[in-house]
Formats: sequence, structure tokens, C-alpha cells
Amino acid sequence: MGLEKIAEKLDSYYDRLERGKATKIKPSHVEKAIVKLNARQEALNRELLEARKPSKKERLQCKLATVRTQIERAEWLLDQIGA
Amino acid sequence: MLGRLLLPTILLILALGFWASTDFQEIAAGVAIFLFGMLMLEDGFKLFSGGFLERILEKATSSVTKSIGFGILTTTIMQSSSLVSVIAISFLSAGLITLVAGVGIIFGANIGTTTGAWLVAGFGLKVNISAYALPMLAISIVLVFQKSKYLRGAGFVLAGLGFLFLGIHYMKEGFEAFKDQFDLTRFAMTGVAGLVVYTLVGATATVVMQSSHATVVLIITALAAGQISYENALALAIGANIGTTVTAIIGAFTANFQGKRLALAHLIFNVVTAGVALIFIGPLRVSVDFVSAGVGIPDTDYALKLAVFHTIFNLLGVFLMVPVIRPLIRFLERTIVQPKEDLSQPKYLSQAVGEFPLTIQTAMRKEVKHLYINAVELIVHGLNLHRHDIFTTKDIAATVAASRSPVEFDIDERYEQRVKTLHSAIVEFTTRINTKDMAENVVEDIYTLRDVATGIVRAVKAIKHLRRNATHFTERDQGVVTDLYNGLRTEIARILVEIRKLELADPEDRSSLWLDQERIQVENDAQNTNGRIEALIRDQKLAVGAATSFLNDSNYAYSAMRELLDAARAYYIETEDAMAEVERILSLEDDELSDVGKAGPSRNASEGAS
Repeated sequence: MGLEKIAEKLDSYYDRLERGKATKIKPSHVEKAIVKLNARQEALNRELLEARKPSKKERLQCKLATVRTQIERAEWLLDQIGA
Repeated sequence: MLGRLLLPTILLILALGFWASTDFQEIAAGVAIFLFGMLMLEDGFKLFSGGFLERILEKATSSVTKSIGFGILTTTIMQSSSLVSVIAISFLSAGLITLVAGVGIIFGANIGTTTGAWLVAGFGLKVNISAYALPMLAISIVLVFQKSKYLRGAGFVLAGLGFLFLGIHYMKEGFEAFKDQFDLTRFAMTGVAGLVVYTLVGATATVVMQSSHATVVLIITALAAGQISYENALALAIGANIGTTVTAIIGAFTANFQGKRLALAHLIFNVVTAGVALIFIGPLRVSVDFVSAGVGIPDTDYALKLAVFHTIFNLLGVFLMVPVIRPLIRFLERTIVQPKEDLSQPKYLSQAVGEFPLTIQTAMRKEVKHLYINAVELIVHGLNLHRHDIFTTKDIAATVAASRSPVEFDIDERYEQRVKTLHSAIVEFTTRINTKDMAENVVEDIYTLRDVATGIVRAVKAIKHLRRNATHFTERDQGVVTDLYNGLRTEIARILVEIRKLELADPEDRSSLWLDQERIQVENDAQNTNGRIEALIRDQKLAVGAATSFLNDSNYAYSAMRELLDAARAYYIETEDAMAEVERILSLEDDELSDVGKAGPSRNASEGAS
């Protein structure tokens, strides 16, 4: 998982926060995003179980891989924000 | 004609009055200062909007009782039923409140406006109000020059109140002096004629001054100075209530049909109340005397008795009208019929919503959605598909493959009518609004919405380019090229379906991050298309001419998909600032899409999606 870009965006956010141009992110905000991503992951898993066409299964697996990456990124962000 | 004559007539009357009497000058200046104070009050409250005022409006109008209470409260604070009515029209026009809530606010405003009479009668005429006005004005000017918009707002409100008090002072002085030279009581009429004439005079005075408060002040000051009789004063107050509707009627000129309905409701309420008051003027007068005696108002204190009358007759109006509010709404809906929806015209962006930040923001959001709905129709029909089919099917690829008949319509004409016109209106609106006093995040949101609209338009333009070949190669099965174009049509349809899922999801559950999964899919497919086309040419399964056409068209298709996804991501990003920050940080950058995408399998266009 490449984190360079997200780290850059986090730096930029802290910079804006210092200048009073951004709203402070609390761990609960990131946790809420993780809850939404987990729910999405569950929904995709359910869809995958019901899928019959190989192309649909393939697409759903691709989406699931992306959601997992997003969850990892969100957990990393939670560590940074919570630290 | 009448409009052109109005201004010269008013100026002529003023000039004659100034020439005839210096006291008239004092009264006229008092009225002018009073109205100037009203303007400053309005400007001051506008600076507070975008915050508490609008949020309260949204929450406080969820029932008729709450709406009435809100109308009473805001009018008491603002001391202007006209201003509250115009704001209500603007909110209704923007779709922020319902017609019932708007009518409730108007009813409440009519009760709230009576506090003005109490203020003037109980306070304005008994103390030297200029003693309050002058320090208020001095402090206000210090606040007006502050950087904080809320301090400036407080300054304008204070200045407004100061000018109101100063205006009252001058009007009072003018009438006091006038009394010695000109006795209005000699012209006072009695009986029905007096009631009718003074009702008309009260209505006209309010129309001219654009303020029932100013008329009530004039009545009370003239009454206190003995210029008019008590009966005439009552009729004038009734007339003032009719005249005050003119501001709302003017405000409704630029509003949509809902705003016009509310202005008509205002007129009906005030005319019916006035009619009932005139018919039952005798019993009303008795009840005023009864209440006045009950609360210890001296029998000769006509100013306070007028305030009692003003309150009783407006309360009477509300008690009469509230039970018939539903029939009234039905009447309004029948009288001012909702115009047949013209999809080419902006539905939410009217001048009436141009005053308040939240109204602007909400109207923009709705108008962009309106544009998106029109764009989806154009995109789907442009690809010879139907919204109902693709939004309900479980197998998009099969539905697309089965949809071969061209949808007959002129895409260029439809684009001009339903997309370009709306986009122009949105862009024009964003350039016209005054963002100076808006919160930074609100301004940012408005400009983001404008960019969303531009993205949607670019997507439609891409589909316009794609349509001819997409139709030509999918009308009948032409082998692999048909599969390729069906693949593109399927991909676009799938994006629209995913955006729709996001739209239908509960805002508490959805996340714009969902669309990153589609973005990755689009980029993978776009990358694989070239390789696949080369292979098809090599295997002689695709003619070079058809291949180059397809590559051009696939560029248009992927461009449309990217535009739609970007527009939806910006539109559906979390509304809470901190959550929006989280989504922005977590969202994948364009150059990250291919890296993350490698984690999963990819498809190409011809394989489509289900």
C-alpha cells in the first residue's frame, strides 16, 4: 500500500489546519469513515455470494480489493490522527 | 405608465409639502430616517444569515404551530413583517420550507408585527427616544467598521434601531408642530365612509412607505397629537395591514409559483382579517376597551389602545384562518397552478433566492441535481438506452446488448435546451451572487457545485460525439465491433447505476469513497482497451478504420465516465467539514488508481459488466 500521496495530503491538511483553513479531524470522524467502508465491504461480499456471471464476480472482487485498500488507508489515517 | 408617473408624483407631492410647511419636512424626514433604519436592519440581519437565522428557519417550520411561533418571534426581533414575509417567500422559492410552513410564518408575522405598535405606543411616545437613538448610532458606526461580519451585522442592526428611533422622534416632532397649524380632525369622517376612506388611506400610506410599522407610527403620533379620531386611527391600522402585503407581492415577482402562492396567502389573510375587523368594528372596539381597562390602560391613552386593537385584530385573523389553512392551501394550489415543468429552465435559481447564503447553497445544489437529471436522460437516450431498463436490471450488459433500437431525438437540440441553458444559468448565478459576506466554506461549496455542473456538461458533450458510431455499430449485430461499443455503453450505464446507488443511499451510510472503486475500474479498462484493439487488428478480427473510430470513441466514453465520477464525488462528498476532510485525504489521487487497481483483476470494454 503506497502511502506517499495520502501522507502528502495529510501534511497539506495539517498545514491548512494551522492556518485555520480546515476543520479539525477527530478519531471519531475517521472511525465513522471506516464503519462506512466496512459496511460497503460486507455489501459487496453479499453481492459476490449472489453473483453468477464470471465477469460480475471479477468486478466485485476488484471492488473488494479496493475497499480493503481503502480500509487500510483509513486505519493508517486513524493511527496518525489519534497519535 | 402608472409606474413611470409614480416617482414624479411622489417627488412633486414632497416638493409641494416642503414648500408649504417646514413641519412637513420634519415628518417626511422622520419617515425617511425610519425607512433608512429598516434598510439597515435588513442589511444587518443578512450578515447574520448563513448561520443561526437560516438554520432556525429550517428547524422551526416543521409544523403549523411552530411556523406561527417562528413568524411571531422573528417579526418581533426584526420589527418587520414585510422582511420576514419576503424571506419566507425566498425560502419557499428555494424549496427549503413547505407552503404550509410559509403560510404559518406569514400568520405569525402578522401577530409579531403588533409588537411594533406596543413598542411605539408604550415606549416611543413616552420617553425621549432620540436620547437612546444617538448613542446607538454612535456605537453602531464603530461596529460597522469592524472586520468581523457578525460585528458589522450587529452594527447595522444597532444603527437600524437607532435610525428607527430617530425617525420616530422626528415624525413626532413634526406632528406636534403640525397640530398648531393644521387640524386633521376637521377632515375626519364618521360612520362607514370614514372607515372605508381611512382604511384606503392606511393601505396607501403603507404601500408608499413600504412599512406598516411606519404607518402605525404615523397613526399613533397623529392620534397622540389629536390629528385624527380614534375611529379613524382604527381604520388606518386596518388599512396598514392590507398595504403591508405589497412588499411580499413585489418580492413574489421574482419568486417561483410557490412564492407567488405565499404572497397571495398573505394578501388573502390580511384582506379577510381587515374585512372582518371592519364589519365587527363595534364589538372590536368594545373588546379593546374591555382589555385596556383590564390591563390598566387609561381610557384616554389612545396610542396604547390602538396597540391593543392592532394585537386583537391580528390575533382574530390568525384564529379565523388557522382552522381553514388546509382549504386555503388547496385554494392557492388551484389558483396558482404549478407550471408544467419546463426542463430547459432553471427551477431553483431565481432572484428570490439570491439574498441568503443557505438559500443560495441549497438552490445551487438542487439546480445542479436538476442539470444532472437532464444530463442522465440525454446520456442514456444518446446511447439508445432507457433509464428504467438500466436502473432496474440485474444484468446491465445483457440489457444494453438487447437495447438496439435507436432512440429518435435530436441530441444537439436537446443539449441546447436541457443542458446548456441550465449550465449557463448556473454559471451566471455564481458570478452574480455576492460572496463577500459569505462563510468561506459556503463560497467554496458554491464554486465546487458550479464545477460539478461543468463536469456534467463535458460528459454530455462526450456522449454527443459518441452517439453516431454507438448507434451505427449497435443497431444490428456486426460482430466484434458491436461487442466493443456495447462494452462502452455498458460501462457508462454502470457508472450511472453506481451514482444512482449513492444518491439513493442514506446520507449517513454512503461515502463518496465508493466511487474510487469505479474510478479504478475505468482506468483499468481504459488502459487495456489499446492492447485489446491492437490484438484484434493483428488477428484481423477488426478493420483498421473501425478500430481507429472505436479508439476515438472510447476516449470520449472514458472521458464521460471520468467526468461523471468526478462530478458525483464532489457532489456527494460528506457535508460535515471534518468528514469531508477525511474523505478528501482517503480518496485516491488519479496517479494512485493504477497502482491500487493492480491489486485486482481487470476487464476490458468488450467484456462489459453485469
